[in-house]
Amino acid sequence: MLGEINLEKVGISCFFLSYLVAFAFEVTRLIKKSRTSRALMLLFAVAGLCAHTIFLLVRSRAADLPPLVGSQLDWMLVLAWLMVLFFLVYSLLDESSALGIFFLPLVLLIVGSTYFVGQEPRAVMEGQHSLKMAHAALLVFGISGVVIGFVIGLMYLVQHRRLKRKHGQAGGLSMPSLAKLARWNRLSVMLSFPLLTAGMLTGVGLGLYSQRTPEPVQLLDPVILSYGVVWLVMAVLFGWLLRAKPTAGKQVAWLTIWGSGFLLLTMIGLQVLNMDSWHS
Amino acid sequence: MNLQVVYCTHHGTDLTLREKLAFSDEQTARAYDHLRNEFPDSEFVVLSTCNRVELYTAQESAKNVPTHQQLAEFFAEFHKVPREELFDDLLERTGPDAVRHLFSVAAGIDSMVVGEPQIVAQVREAYATARDHRASGPLANAMFERALKVGKRIRTETGLSEGRISIASVAVGDFGKSIFDRFDDKRVLVIGAGEMAEETLRYLHAEGVRDVVVTNRSIERAKMLAGQWGGTTAPFDQLDELLGQADIIVSTTGASRPIVSCERFQEVRRQGDPKEVFILDLGAPRDFDPAIGEVDDNVFLYCIDDLEATCDQNRKVRKKEIAAAQRIIDEETDEFMQAVYHRATGPIIRNLREKWNEISQLELERLFGKLPDLNQEDRDHLEQCFNRMVNKLLHPPLEVLREEAREGTPHGLMDALKRLFHLRD
Repeated sequence: MLGEINLEKVGISCFFLSYLVAFAFEVTRLIKKSRTSRALMLLFAVAGLCAHTIFLLVRSRAADLPPLVGSQLDWMLVLAWLMVLFFLVYSLLDESSALGIFFLPLVLLIVGSTYFVGQEPRAVMEGQHSLKMAHAALLVFGISGVVIGFVIGLMYLVQHRRLKRKHGQAGGLSMPSLAKLARWNRLSVMLSFPLLTAGMLTGVGLGLYSQRTPEPVQLLDPVILSYGVVWLVMAVLFGWLLRAKPTAGKQVAWLTIWGSGFLLLTMIGLQVLNMDSWHS
Repeated sequence: MNLQVVYCTHHGTDLTLREKLAFSDEQTARAYDHLRNEFPDSEFVVLSTCNRVELYTAQESAKNVPTHQQLAEFFAEFHKVPREELFDDLLERTGPDAVRHLFSVAAGIDSMVVGEPQIVAQVREAYATARDHRASGPLANAMFERALKVGKRIRTETGLSEGRISIASVAVGDFGKSIFDRFDDKRVLVIGAGEMAEETLRYLHAEGVRDVVVTNRSIERAKMLAGQWGGTTAPFDQLDELLGQADIIVSTTGASRPIVSCERFQEVRRQGDPKEVFILDLGAPRDFDPAIGEVDDNVFLYCIDDLEATCDQNRKVRKKEIAAAQRIIDEETDEFMQAVYHRATGPIIRNLREKWNEISQLELERLFGKLPDLNQEDRDHLEQCFNRMVNKLLHPPLEVLREEAREGTPHGLMDALKRLFHLRD
């Protein structure tokens, strides 16, 4: 019982600050290679992830809903959780990777933006539990892929700029080669677009199903329309990628950044604006 | 304890003399035989590399310690070099300075390229050779083993060995590996067949490059270089076609004007695949027009000056770490010397303790003989009491000896103890 009370005291600020400290240690590694800084960065990131997990579990138990469908806040925190997990696994595999410099600010942005979104568990439409879970999960995985693509695109451009400007590697951090970044960039879009499409389709299915319920979803809902536009942008990017030459690494990076940046802005913007919508 | 090094290095001695004083493997073996006959109480280690020739000596007793002059004479006789020619160049360091010097050498601080890693292997090899020839002993072994540990510690705890500092290693490690993920599927075109091309090929080969094409105006030299790296040669007049096929281009022709103009390269790119191409223009003057670097996003062109700038930057970073490395060397030297001084007092302490224990045992046996009715418990009590008494009496002089040994071997105190308590060596 005592354990439960203590766990409930874990708040967003706990893991937000942990990630912030981890980011600060990561920045020091830009200046000088240091095993201590890396160890402390990993320690704070792992501590943050533990607090993050506990927070999601406690909220899920209190609302009696899975975190993905609990509220806007829970959904965004799951997205950030997936990103931290990806970052930690990669950092453990590659000791000198500069991934944290690019990844942690985005995690902080997403976690920070949850201060402005609705925290109350939303009223959930009755029935079709599996479809709702699939809709939320596909979207969160798809968007995670897009965010990872955004970071990789950014890393590609920074690495490309360094090589064109003929600057040697500085400090204790390095970035993957252009060839590897281009491959990952392409892969992230190739994987995330089908997930987003499947997420959209399950959403449309849910919308149609809701027409038979007492509270039907407005298919012209601004949030749904905005996501539709984002999906179209991603579809164009996906189509272009299928036809693009493998040597067009820099163009792929720029397009991924524009496409995924637009998605991120739309997603965070809509959640923060807290529009009167079925999704809100 | 007598520690000494007589040496000459790239810092103050020119290569001609260093070459004359250097020891080959066979000469090292003969040198050890000679030194052992001449100075039977001493231990020796010879460290001979292209940048330094050093002779370390270590001896526990103060008798017949080889002097700087005697060692200089040994160098002169052994290498048949006039004594006057080498005496001013052969420097000497003794005691903690000799230890500090060895630790600096093992750490790479004293190297021509600060922090270079080869010196560790060279120190390790010199030490192993001395041991194989039974030229080193407990003192020299302790000093060299500690030096290897210090070298490792400095490389781990400071950034002295961080960053690449040769043109070829920077080209491949800092730039090539940032462009390509793998090298085993890349075609390397070498234009010209200079030394720099050879060194760059060594690094590229280590990364997995197997497909090498060499083109040169002199086909003989091209064949030699291609043969060395399992590559092929191609006529120089096929250069445009070769440029279009290559992923990595290394150029070292030494031509007086660029051999590839921007227009020529643009045409090559238009006709071929616009894949990533990594161009190392190692010619001076340049072989590639600098504007080629801006032809498209996938062309990465580096000239000697670009690579040298990165080398300089890395050298500066290493130099900044010298102070941190020096602190570790001072700390390790102090610790090592304390252990050495303490080791010198060991026989005296052992002698003193043995003598007093012997006396206490004799007195105890006499007492037990006079008191035959004592039970085992009382005997144990008495024995413990005598042991305590000996320890308490020994404690003050030994403590003073230990204190004195921190600053150096306490010869005066050791002599006094020997005379006061009739101790033998």
